[in-house]
Order: sequence, then C-alpha cells, then structure tokens
Amino acid sequence: MNDIIIAGIGGQGNILLSRVICQLFMNRGFDVKSAENIGMSQRGGSVVSYIRVGDEVGPIVPDGKADILIGLEMSEAARNVNKINKDSVVVLNNKFVRPKNSDLKKQEILNLIESNISKFYILNAYDIALELDMPKAENITMLTLICKKEIFPFSKEEIMTALKLVLSPQMYEMNKILVEKIYEKY
Amino acid sequence: MKKVLMGNEAVAYSLFINGVNVAVGYPGTPSTEVIETLKDFQDDDFYVEWSTNEKVALEVAAGASLAGARTVAAMKQVGLNVAADPLLSLSVVGVEGGLIVFVADDPGPHSSQTEQDTRNFARFCNLPVFDPSSPKEAFELIKPAFEISEKYKLPVLFRMTTRVCHSNQSVEFELKREKRKIKGFRKKPEWVILPALSYKKHMELEQKLQDMKKELSVYNKVEGKGKIGIVTGGVSYFYVKEAIKGFEDLFSILKITVAHPLDEELILEFVKDKEILIFIEELDPVLEEEVKLLLFENGRIISTYGKRNGYVPFAGELDVDKVKGIFYKVLSDKRFLMKNTFTDVLQIPKRQAQLCAGCPHRNSFLIVKYATKGQDVIFTGDIGCYTLGFAKPISTTDTCLCMGASITMAQGLKITDGSKKVIAFIGDSTFFHSGITGLVNSYYNRHNITICILDNLTTGMTGFQPHPGTGKKIYGEEGRKVSIESIVKGIGVEKVLVIDPYSDFTQNVDKVREFLNNDQLGVIVFRRECANLKSREGYFKINQNCLKCKVCLNVTGCPAIDEDENGNIFIDSVLCKGCGLCKNFCPYYAIEKVMENE
Ligand code: SF4
Ligand code: SF4
Repeated sequence: MNDIIIAGIGGQGNILLSRVICQLFMNRGFDVKSAENIGMSQRGGSVVSYIRVGDEVGPIVPDGKADILIGLEMSEAARNVNKINKDSVVVLNNKFVRPKNSDLKKQEILNLIESNISKFYILNAYDIALELDMPKAENITMLTLICKKEIFPFSKEEIMTALKLVLSPQMYEMNKILVEKIYEKY
Repeated sequence: MKKVLMGNEAVAYSLFINGVNVAVGYPGTPSTEVIETLKDFQDDDFYVEWSTNEKVALEVAAGASLAGARTVAAMKQVGLNVAADPLLSLSVVGVEGGLIVFVADDPGPHSSQTEQDTRNFARFCNLPVFDPSSPKEAFELIKPAFEISEKYKLPVLFRMTTRVCHSNQSVEFELKREKRKIKGFRKKPEWVILPALSYKKHMELEQKLQDMKKELSVYNKVEGKGKIGIVTGGVSYFYVKEAIKGFEDLFSILKITVAHPLDEELILEFVKDKEILIFIEELDPVLEEEVKLLLFENGRIISTYGKRNGYVPFAGELDVDKVKGIFYKVLSDKRFLMKNTFTDVLQIPKRQAQLCAGCPHRNSFLIVKYATKGQDVIFTGDIGCYTLGFAKPISTTDTCLCMGASITMAQGLKITDGSKKVIAFIGDSTFFHSGITGLVNSYYNRHNITICILDNLTTGMTGFQPHPGTGKKIYGEEGRKVSIESIVKGIGVEKVLVIDPYSDFTQNVDKVREFLNNDQLGVIVFRRECANLKSREGYFKINQNCLKCKVCLNVTGCPAIDEDENGNIFIDSVLCKGCGLCKNFCPYYAIEKVMENE
C-alpha cells in the first residue's frame, strides 16, 4: 500500500491520524511524504490527507491511484472517489454528516461504493469511541480497528510505538487505554 | 535522528541548527508553523517573537542583523506586501548577519486573497530567491541561504508554496546547533540610506547578483537526456517526475531551485539539443519569461509551451493529473491521459466554511444584525476567522480586502454613500496589525463610522497566537498588555462600548441599537474568549417541544445544530459549546441547557 487517502470533516482528527500512519510506515523503514487539504474553517469543513510511501513523489495522490481510502465521514469519502480505482480498498466510518442544505442520503453513498468496489468495509469507529467515552478519538479508534481487522499490516505493538512518538505523554496514556480496550472488546 | 517534518517545521529545525539568533514573524497560513516550531527551541542566544505585523517583524530582524545576528522574518505572501517597504530598502542598505525572509506563497489559493508569486518579488527587489521542492530540500537549503546572505551582505528570500510548507516528509538530521559569535553593532556610514549612496549601492547590487550566479547554480539540476526539455521548479518538479514515469527517455528536466538570479550558461547548455521546451511552474511564468528572453537574446528559435500560450493554466495549483494533461495537449499522446475508473460519481455538495460552534463572533454579528434590522447598512469586513461573517445565514460582511482595510474602506464608503450607516468589523490581532492607523484617520478626518472590534483574545484563524492585546508573549510569559479601549480613547474617540457577546442577547441588541442611534464615530468592543480556548460549563439540547420550524438552524447557522434524515432537529452534544445563542430564537422553548456531567 503506497498511496493512502483519509477523508473527513474538520474536528475528527484527520491530520493527527495521518501523522500516526506516517510514523507507522517510517518505523518500518520507509520514507514517507504526506499532505493535507484543509478547508478554511477549523470545524465542519472538508479535510483530506494524502499519505505517500516513497520519497521521489509529490505530496498529492494522483487521480485513481490511491490504494486505500479511509473515510472518517461517508460523504467526504464519496467526495474523493476520483482518487481511487476498482481495486482500491475502501474503509468507511459508520458516520454520516450531511452537508447542510442538501438532501444527500447515506444510502446513495453506500450504493455508489458497493457497486464499484469489492474490498469495502464499514467500521463503527464513532460509536465505539463514544462507548469508550472518548468521542474525540474516533480517528485512533478507526486506525486500531483497521489494523485489528488486518486491513492494514500493523500490529497492536506497532500502533503503540507510533502513538508514543506522535502524541504528547498525556494524550498517549489515554489513547493507549483506548487501543487496549478495542483489541479486547471489538 | 529521523523524523516526519512538515515543510515549515523542516525550515524551523534547520534555522535553529544553523544558528538563527532572532526569529520574528506574523502568523498567516501557510507560513505560521515556522515561528510556531521555532518557539519550541530555546537557547541563550536565541530570541523569538510574534510581531504586530510583517513590516515590524522585518525591521526588527534588520536591526538584529546589523548587529551581526542570524535572523529570519517569516510571513505569507500577502504579508510580504506589508513588509515590502523595508525589504526594498534593505536590498540597497544590505545586512550584516545572515537575514532570511521566509515567505509562503499559496497557489490555489487555499487560504489567501491573492495568488502572487514571491519569485517575481525577488526580481522586483533584486534579491536571490530559493524555491525548494520538498521539506527535505528546504531543510538542506537553509544553510546555503544564510551563507549567501552573509557573503554578499544581502537579505535572501526563501520562498515555499503551500504544498511544500504543509506537506510532511521523513527527514534525517542531527539536532546540533551551530554556535556563532555575534560581533555587535558597528557604526558605519552605509547604514544610513541617502539618495547618493543609494545610487552607488544599486550598482553594487547589480554586480553582486552577477557574482553570485554560478555559486547559486549548484542547487539547480539537470536530469535525463530526452529531446523534450521541461523547465520546472518548486513542488512542480515532483509532479513532472511522476507524470513522465515510464516515458523518461523522451524527456529531460531542468530543475530550477534558485529562481533569481538565473544562471544563463546552464540554461543555454540545457536547451542546446532540445526540440521543444515545456514550462511547468505554478503562479507566474517567471522561468518561462526569463528563459524565453534568453533564447531571444541568443538567437535561438525553439517551440515553447507554457502559460504564455495557454498550455499551462495561469491560475490555481498544478498536480500530476494536470501536468499529464498538459503533456497530452503538447504531444497529443493518449498515454498521458488519466483514466478514471469510477463510472458514476455522486455530486457531493460543498461544505460551506462556517464559524465554529459557539464562536462568539456569531453572537456579535447577530447582535449587530438585529440592532440594525430594517436600516440601510453597509458592513465592511476584514481578514481573520470573522471573514466568515459573509457566509449565510450570518451575511453581515459586504467587503473584505486586506488586513486593516475594513476600517479604512468604511470611511471611503461613508464619504461617497453617506446616507447609509457604515459598520466595520475587525479582529483584535488585525486591529493591532493595521487597524490603528485607520482609526486615527477616521478620528482625524471626522469620518462617522462605527467600528466593531471582535476581540476573542487570540489570533484565532492561524492557531491561537498571542498578540499585544493578550499581554502574553510567544511562550505565554508576561509581556505588557495593550488595552484596546485605551488606544481608542487615547486617540480621542469618546463613544466606546464594551459588550460580552455571550451575555443576554436582547439586552445587547438594545444597547447596540441605542449606540448606533446618532451618526458619530464610535467603537464597540465585543469581548469574549475564542470558543476553542475555553472548556464549556454545559451544552444545549432540543427537547420534545420542538416543532421542527428550523428557526434555530436557519438563523444561527451553528454547525452543532443539524437536521437528520427524518427532519428532526438535533444539537450535536460533542460540538455544542453551550453559548446559548440558539435558545434566543426558538419560539417554542424547545432548547434547554444540560450541565456538564449530568
Ligand atoms: S448553544 Fe446553540 S448556538 Fe451555541 S454552540 Fe450550542 S448549539 Fe451552537
Ligand atoms: S427553533 Fe425550536 S422549535 Fe424550531 S426547530 Fe429549533 S428547536 Fe425546534
């Protein structure tokens, strides 16, 4: 997996997640590059992160080239389908925040993905993060689930090492518990 | 050690390692993280500050440089316009300790008013400019930038674009700082710029640019042997590399890292055996124009493709797909066409940028909006989060030009369209940056406008930097606090009102209505800490009284209030900041407060 896209809305921790994934690859000895497309508003705008494993590439994933699309929010994932192809893996958080003043339906998005993509997963990251009383940690919840389901080739220990390097000590302690619990319960 | 660094962080690390002594700047996307990162470094010979604006920052840096310090002034491209005055003079006066002017350009633009090109600024003020392609390269180029600055006693521009500033890359380095002895200020007549000296210095400057060409050219490079020459620089270099994957034999690349002054010999050598030239660069056709001029001067005729003949777009940023499209257009080779495997694509409506949930600016705008209901009013806006006051449903911003212009444009509007009320909105940091001079002008010239200073006690848009009004310095340590009201009153304005936008909405509306009653110069300070800086006491929820009239949603536009697929209105309990604004508009008392931990 060389080209990764994370799509979501502001406030979901998209950029932090991107940092952690970069660190995961780096710890395996790869060179990484990443970039973000950040909207003007701090909260509620569209946010896309690109992660590229390899040195001699630009920061933006070209159209149709992404190997995996991680959707922290469904309509934002759908917004970025031009970056994937029929062989890409799509992982969606079961969370839909309809863009205001639109009549977009969750089912339309699911139909679009289902009819084009065979490697397609829906994860309950938001609900699990809420259940574990860490609503702001749906990003790390998502990552942990992806690794646990072996969609991503990283172990629990590797997640911990990466988190330790990226997060502040206090944030690390909280997320460590979260990762442990997810591996136990879900 | 090896670390993933954002382009701006890479610059900051390298600056510190290479012994920068004074780092100053004003926050602005995409440049902010240079100073933000530098502030995490500390040393007995290192000083860092947020200055009130870019001109101030560059002048502080210039002073320190004259005393022999290595300095950096960091800003975004529009900030360079503010600092243009000292920069152009500095190119004549010169510097002592290495002075890097870091400028972030924003092709797209993603978060700016303009798509201006700092490489053109370099041509305009006769200064060398580095244009790195990646965070790693940016890291490596800081050292030569300081050395060139010190050798030729000139400021050096270090220009990056959003995709370099804000992309991340693994960089390997040793965190060891180069310590230098600072000589201190020595008096010299040449530090005083006088017209006669300026003429002499201009000649010297032209000579210096000639002299440094070869030395700087080692950072440019030629790749490949193909007959199709591509001239490129900055992040576009990587787009080109990726676009020609599999066809490398056809092409050769001239990567220009120092865009000014250009090494003519290198270029003439490169074009020698080329059949055509394609220019792939973002923003202005700087390389294209320089190279074409050179070809003309040397009697070379060759087909060129770039912005000037419509092959490369003038506006917006490039990417691999766009570059492939350009190659297709030039070569009509279908293999460059991208294939999109998704047959049907859903139209996903744009997410309109919105003020955050609980943003006090939302309350302030609505207070003014309700207080002026039914009247003919013009609202001028400014640069900051609160530019979003233009968005529906707030719609209380009719103009926005550049930092500080809300106050001055309001005066121009008042002169010409005097029957209307004119109300200017400006943020606290922007007021200090360049609002004060406008306020002086309106007092002095008797322009009867109302100025609303939206004071959220931070620089919200760029990530909560302190400023004179907060009294805190860059590390949060005590500076001296500058009171906005004292400035306003000190200038002579008598009509001043301070309001907490979170307090009783109806009372606030009455107060503001009364304040606006007579048409005279007045200042209202709306003061309430940014919603992202304070934890909430509680939040609001919608109860069973709700009749789905959507007034709360449609009036406030608060991102925490939404409608689900069945038309039920709900408040996102995680997002809501408990400001209580929406409660004022519900005709059915359906919005109630929940205390935290209930
Ligand atoms: S109280 Fe109402 S307006 Fe204020 S943040 Fe919560 S939902 Fe938004
Ligand atoms: S204004 Fe009151 S009744 Fe109307 S939708 Fe909002 S909560 Fe429901």
